[in-house]
Amino acid sequence: MSKRILIVEDQEDNRRILRDLLTNVGFELIEATTGEEGVRLAERNRPDLILMDVQMPVLDGHEATQRIKSQPELRSIPIIVVTSYALSGDEAKAMAAGADAYVAKPFSPRALLAAIRRFLPDPAG
Amino acid sequence: MQQNLRSNLLGACKVVLQGQGIGSRLRLAPFRRTARALAGLRETVVAFVARIPARVETKLLVAFLGMLALLVALGAVGLSVLGAAHQRTNDLIALQRKIAVYRQVQQDTTTQLYEVSSAMLLSDDKALATALRKLNQFDYDLERLQFVNAEDVALSSQVRRTYDQFVAVVSEVAELYRAGRIADARQIQLRQAGPLADRLERLTNQLVNRAEAEMLTSITTGRRSYTASQTAVIAFVCGSVILALVLGYVISWSLIEPVTQIAARLRRIAEGDFSQRVRVTNRDELGALAADVNRTCAELGYLYEQLEAASRHKSEFLANTSHELRTPLNAILGYTELVLDEIYGEVPAKIREVLERVQSNGRHLLGLINDVLDLSKIEAGQLSLSITEYSMKEVVETVIVATEALVAEKQLTFATTIADDLPRGEGDERRITQVLLNLVGNAIKFTESGGIAVDATLSDGSFQVAVSDTGPGIAAEDQQAVFEEFRQLDSSSTRIKGGTGLGLAISKRIVELHGGRIWVESEPGEGSTFRFTLPVHASARSVAP
Repeated sequence: MSKRILIVEDQEDNRRILRDLLTNVGFELIEATTGEEGVRLAERNRPDLILMDVQMPVLDGHEATQRIKSQPELRSIPIIVVTSYALSGDEAKAMAAGADAYVAKPFSPRALLAAIRRFLPDPAG
Repeated sequence: MQQNLRSNLLGACKVVLQGQGIGSRLRLAPFRRTARALAGLRETVVAFVARIPARVETKLLVAFLGMLALLVALGAVGLSVLGAAHQRTNDLIALQRKIAVYRQVQQDTTTQLYEVSSAMLLSDDKALATALRKLNQFDYDLERLQFVNAEDVALSSQVRRTYDQFVAVVSEVAELYRAGRIADARQIQLRQAGPLADRLERLTNQLVNRAEAEMLTSITTGRRSYTASQTAVIAFVCGSVILALVLGYVISWSLIEPVTQIAARLRRIAEGDFSQRVRVTNRDELGALAADVNRTCAELGYLYEQLEAASRHKSEFLANTSHELRTPLNAILGYTELVLDEIYGEVPAKIREVLERVQSNGRHLLGLINDVLDLSKIEAGQLSLSITEYSMKEVVETVIVATEALVAEKQLTFATTIADDLPRGEGDERRITQVLLNLVGNAIKFTESGGIAVDATLSDGSFQVAVSDTGPGIAAEDQQAVFEEFRQLDSSSTRIKGGTGLGLAISKRIVELHGGRIWVESEPGEGSTFRFTLPVHASARSVAP
């Protein structure tokens, strides 16, 4: 059974790029377009990894990360936060919220894949 | 024991000191009250003069004329006192002369009376005739007496009458002697001439005594009136001096105070503080000047606020715009990379080549947008450092790794010296890396042959980083300009070399935000060395844009 990655990202193009990149290497994807949906899908589907965008309306990535990490049964799921270059200090905030790693936007798909592989070396599990 | 002694001594000292304190407070209190009252009075008077609605010229003229009037009055008082003194002297001289005359009369009278009585005693009619002749001559002296004497008319006329009677009696006696009627002559001599002579002597004595008494009174009066006029003159001089001082002081302060205030206000305006107004109560040119300064200040303050707001809006607009620009660009770059990684299938060589150009142009565009965003955030004061622990050694190594390929491509040498004793620092690692990357990137960009050297050492609690190149160098007059926005020495080089011309401006702000300094040492044709210092333990500070 292949590993499942939850993408929490409000922008269609970014989701598409991640989808094309990650399904291509064999990951299974779950997509959420808001922070709330991300938390809900994490609870329901227990993914193997979460890619969390920071800049989202209403519930941002930091807040969503914090909510997921506050649940004991979800705490072990690694979360990679995609920080925005526009907001400096995001990295520290992401780590404070409980993220396991961060990738700064604009990310290169290759660099992102490398970061994911640190947690999930083999998509097929 | 010793401790006890010391604490006792301390206690005694305290008591003495406190005692002195109370004493001096008691002594000073009335002075302070007086000083306060005087200061209050001064303010009131100065404010009153300031509020007089007249021109400064008029005020000065009035003050000057006032002082002149005081001088003239002083002169007049002096002259009148002098006049009085002169009059008194004249009076005294007259009195003295009178006394001299009276004394002469008295003496002459005594002499005459003596001669007459001797002649009578001897019953010598010849001697009597001589005495009578002298007595008649004495008549001239009495005439003079009348001439001098104006007041003692009564007394002098008595003298005169008595004298006339005496002369008549003596003449009669002389006649009787000559006729041989000795007994009759003696009779008249005893009964009439004797008492008349006594009376004449008494009267002349009285004259002298009276004149001397008058003289004494006059001297006493003179002394008294001298003391009085002395007091008057001293009082007048003191009054004039005080009045002149007060007048000068008040006029000066009513002019100096507003000038000082206006000057202070202008200094504050020059420093960029438009919030306060000058409070000048003068209703003269200085008042008008203060009002103008206030109006200018208000106008400047308004313009300054508008400028600030405009600048803030510009920065916010730039920050928002560049963020909006980046989102689609990220997608373009992301898709391009996926295509190039053949996620969507095999890519023919020709298409790959074009796509690589798309990618490199896209990255350049992203770099431009990022620089503009950085700078506008710095300008808007929104760039805050995220201070973490970092290793300067690792920063340098990261930059070397990132630029190695470029150095190799241009066949340049790359020397790195990192001091062994570098401690771990505190700062914004990503921003510091950005600064060093920018400096090394520039060095590579502008160096066609030779090499680049990076040198990191520790000195005075700061990291000292130097990036040297063997490029064309920068003239002294341009060394400041390179740190300004959108400045490359030759604007054509922007197109050839790429870059936004913002890198150094951003680097400067980042270094300064860390509390460090950045500068360049260079000579045309000799290459350049860019240096920056960073406190090992940096704390974020705000830097004026």
